[in-house]
Amino acid sequence: MFRTLIATVATVATASGAFAGGHSELLSKSWDEIVAQAKEEGQVSWFVWYFQPRYREIAKAFTEEYGIEVVIPEGTHEGNIEKFLAERNRDAGDIDVLAMGTDRIDLFDPTEMALGPLTDVLPEAPNMRTELGGHDGLGYAFGYWGNQTGIAYDPNKIADADLPQTIEDFEAFFAANPGAFGFNYENGGSGPSFFQNVTRNIINAEMDDWLSGEVTEDRMASLKPAWDWFLDHTDGYVITASNTDSLQRISGGEFTMVAAWEDHLYGLQVKGEIDDRIKYYIPEFGMNGGGNYNIVPANAPNPAAALVFLNWVSSAETQTAFNQVFGAAPMHPNADDSKALVPNEMRQYSTIWPGNPFNTEIRQAFVENVVLER
Amino acid sequence: MRWRRTLLILALLTPGLGVILLMIGSVFYVAVMQSFGYYNLVGEDSFSLEHWEKVLGSKQFSRSLSYSAYIAVVAAIGSVILAYPIAIWLRRPFRGSLAISAVLKAPLFVPGLVASFLFLNVIAFHGVVNQFLMWIGITDEPIRMQNDRGAWGVVFLQLWKNMPFALLLLTGAVQSISDEVLDAARDLGAGSFARFRKVIAPLTVQAMQAALIIIFIGAAGDFAFQVTAGPTNVQSMAQYMVFLKDSFGRWNQAAVVGVSLMILALFGSLILAFISSVVLKSGNKW
Amino acid sequence: MVSLADSGATVAPKKPTRRAGALNRFLMIVLMTIVAIWLIVPFSMAVLWSLVDPETGWNYPDLLPPSLTHLRWVEVWTTTALPQAIANSYMLAPTVAVVTLILASPTAYCFARYDFAGKGLAQLATLLPLVVPGFVLAIFFSSLIFSLGIYSRFLSILMAHCVLFLPYAIRIMTVSFGQVRQDLIDAARDLGASPLAVFRAAYMPALLPGILASLIIVFIQSIEEFAIAFIVGAPNFTTIPSILYSYLGYNFIRPNAAVVSLILVVPNVLLMLGLERLLKSANPAQTGVKG
Repeated sequence: MFRTLIATVATVATASGAFAGGHSELLSKSWDEIVAQAKEEGQVSWFVWYFQPRYREIAKAFTEEYGIEVVIPEGTHEGNIEKFLAERNRDAGDIDVLAMGTDRIDLFDPTEMALGPLTDVLPEAPNMRTELGGHDGLGYAFGYWGNQTGIAYDPNKIADADLPQTIEDFEAFFAANPGAFGFNYENGGSGPSFFQNVTRNIINAEMDDWLSGEVTEDRMASLKPAWDWFLDHTDGYVITASNTDSLQRISGGEFTMVAAWEDHLYGLQVKGEIDDRIKYYIPEFGMNGGGNYNIVPANAPNPAAALVFLNWVSSAETQTAFNQVFGAAPMHPNADDSKALVPNEMRQYSTIWPGNPFNTEIRQAFVENVVLER
Repeated sequence: MRWRRTLLILALLTPGLGVILLMIGSVFYVAVMQSFGYYNLVGEDSFSLEHWEKVLGSKQFSRSLSYSAYIAVVAAIGSVILAYPIAIWLRRPFRGSLAISAVLKAPLFVPGLVASFLFLNVIAFHGVVNQFLMWIGITDEPIRMQNDRGAWGVVFLQLWKNMPFALLLLTGAVQSISDEVLDAARDLGAGSFARFRKVIAPLTVQAMQAALIIIFIGAAGDFAFQVTAGPTNVQSMAQYMVFLKDSFGRWNQAAVVGVSLMILALFGSLILAFISSVVLKSGNKW
Repeated sequence: MVSLADSGATVAPKKPTRRAGALNRFLMIVLMTIVAIWLIVPFSMAVLWSLVDPETGWNYPDLLPPSLTHLRWVEVWTTTALPQAIANSYMLAPTVAVVTLILASPTAYCFARYDFAGKGLAQLATLLPLVVPGFVLAIFFSSLIFSLGIYSRFLSILMAHCVLFLPYAIRIMTVSFGQVRQDLIDAARDLGASPLAVFRAAYMPALLPGILASLIIVFIQSIEEFAIAFIVGAPNFTTIPSILYSYLGYNFIRPNAAVVSLILVVPNVLLMLGLERLLKSANPAQTGVKG
C-alpha cells in the first residue's frame, strides 16, 4: 500500500502537461457560443491574493451582466500559484482564473499549463497587454493591473522640496534623520525595488546591461560597492517586516519615508486605513513599475466563464473602476486613469525589473551581504 | 502465545502509527527526494547534491539553524520552568484556583497570528507601552520595540503561547501525585526544593518531556511569530524555507531547508528530553 | 513571576493553614494583576481598534480614536467569507478532535502498557507529522489526495488534520494510560467486575483528563491550522485562518484585523472556560478516586 501510494505520487509529480489543451475545442467556438456556455457553467472562481473583499464588491457588476456567480477565495499569492502547480494533472482543477505578479510567469510554461493563445478569442484582446514589465505572456497571460513602486512620505516631517532624489540626497537624509526611512526585503517588492535601483546607481550600470537576466560571478562581485554603501549607512534606515508594515508605521508617525507601492497606498487611503496626509513620489534615480497577469489554467473547471471573466476584467469599464477604487494603472487604452498619487510627468522615472535569474539572485545577495551583516 | 501478542500489538498500532507511517511517510519521502533534485513541481528531475551544497554553504543557513534552535530551546525550557511552580501551586484546589487556571490557559486559545497582532499593537511606536513610558518620564522619545534585534518579542510570544500548554500537561501529572507520597517526603524532612527534585520531578518526568518535545518542535518550526515580530536581520528556518520558495521559486533548496528543519525538530527535541530526564531522574535516589 | 509562584508552591500544604491561605490570596491578587495586563490591555486595544471610524481614522498623536463606530463589524461580516468560514471551522475541528482521539487511543494504550522490541523507534515515528513543514505537507498531501481520487474538501482536510495532530493525541493519551494503576485494575478484576466496570473504575478516572486535554489540543490545532486547510480546501472550503491570513498579510488593515481576531478568539475563550470546568470535575483528586 505504501509503495503504491509513493508510486502514485511519483506518477502525478512527473507526468506533466497531460491535460494541456484539454479545452482547445472551446477556443475554436465563436464568442457568442462561449458566452452561452459560460452562462450554462454559471460560476467562475478568480484566485487573486489581495483586496478580495473589494473585488467581491466590484465583481457584482459582472454577475449582474452575465448572471455568472464570481467566487473570490481568500488566499496568498504563493499559495494560489502552488495550488495551481499541484493541481495541474487533475482533469478539472479548482481555479478558473489565476492572478499573479508578472515575474511569476517564469515559474512555469504557460503554453502547456494555461488555456490559449487567446489573442484571437477574446473580443478585448487587441486592447489587452500580454507584454508587461519586461515579461511576455505569449497571449496566454494578460495584464489586468498596473503598479508602481516609489516612496511614501509624511509631509509633516519633510517638505516636497527636500525629498531625496539622488543617492547623495539619501546619504544626506540618512545622516540628518537616522532611522527615519523604512523598507522591506521580503513580503512584497517595494523594498527590493529600492535597493535594486540604489545598487544600479551606485555601480553606474547602463540600463540595458542592468536589465539583462544573466548571472555571472563577475557580475555579482561588481555589486559589492552597493553592499558597502548599505553597510556604511545602517543607522540611516530600518528594515520593516512587509509593505503593509511600512505603511502602518509611517501612518502611525514612526517614519518620515518608506518604500511602498502606489496602488497599495492608494487603496488603503481610500478606505481610511492609512492617513490621508501621507503622500507619494518616484525619486529621480528611478523605482520599478510593473503589473499583474491573469491566466486561465488549462484544467479550469469553468473554462468558458473564465474567458468571459478575463475579457470583462480587462475591459475599459472594469479598468476604470480599478483605477478609481484602487488607484491601479489601467491596462486598457480607453480607461480613465485620472486617479493616481503621482503626476504623469513623474512617471518618466519609472524603470522595470531586471530579468530572471538576476532579479532573484540580487535579492538573495542583498540578504546574504547586507541583511545578515547588519 | 507470542504470536497472538505480536498480532495484538500490531493491531493496536495500526490506526495511529500505521496511518501516520502511510501518509506522512510518502510525503516525507517526497520532500527528501525533492532536496536531491526529484519531484520538481516544474522542470526536469535528476539526482543532484547541488542544492544541499548551495544551502549548507550559505551564511544564511547556519544563522537560521542556530537562531531556530535557540528560540526552540528557550521556548521549551522557559515554558516548563514557568509552568512547574504554577502547576504545583494549583495542585490543590483553593478559592479562585479555577479562575486562575482558566485565565492562565487563555493564550492557548489565541491563535499565533492573533497573539502577534495584539502584541504589535501594544508595543507599537506610538502604542500604549511607549505612551506610558513617556508619560511617567522614563523616556522622552518613543522606543522602537518592533522586530527587536535580540528576538525578545519572539521569545515573549513563544512563552505567552506555550507556557499554558506546558501548564496543561504538568497540572494533570502533578495532580496525580498522591498526598501520601508528598507527606511522607515532608515527614522525612525533605525541604521544598528537595521534595520537588526527589518526588515531583521524577513522577512528572513523562509529562514534562511531552511538553518539552512538543513546544520545542513547534517553536523550531515557527513562522507566524518570526515573520511579524521577529528580528529582520535573521530568518527562522521555516521563514527561510518559505522565503526561498516564495521569493525565488527555489523549491529544491527550500526542500533542503525543510529536511534540515525536520532533523532539527526531531533530534533537538529528543536531546532536550533526554537531558532533562537524566537531570531529573538523578534525583530519584533517596 | 517565577519567584512569586515558586514560593507559592513551597507553602501549598495538604490542608491550607491560615498563613498559607492569606499567602494564596496575595499571590492570587498579584497573579491576576499580571494576567489582567497580559490579557486585558491587548484585548482592549483590539476592541478599540475594531471600533475606529474609517472617516476619521486613529493616527498619532490622537491618544484615543476621535470617533467610534460599529461599521467595521458590519462590513467584515457582510463583505467577507467570514460567516461561512466560521461554520466550516467549527464543523471541522470537533470532528477532527473526536476522530483523532479514536485513532490515537489504541496506539497510546499499546505504548503505555506493553513492552515490545522497537517500541522506542515506534514512539519516535509517531512524531513524524510534526517535523514535516506545513506547506510541504500541504502540497504533497493534496497531490496524494487528488491522485487517490478523493475530492470531498471536508473529508480531505479531515484526513490530513487527523494525521497531522495524531502525535499530540498519542503523546497525551500515552501519559494518561501510563497513569492507570495496575493494582486498581487487578483489584476490580479480583472483585469480579465486568470489563466495562473495570474500565469505569480503573481506567476512566485516570483517562478523563487526558481525553479532554487531547480533545482540546487537537480542536485548537485544527481551528488554527492554515496550510492544509487552504491548499486542500480552496476555493469552496474557507476556514477562519485563511481569512485571518488575508487580513494580517497583504491586506493588513488594523481595524478589520482586530474585528476578525476578536471574532476568532472570543468563542475559543468561552469554550475554554467551559472545558476547564469539565477538566476540573474530571480531576481524580476531586472525585474521590485516590490511590
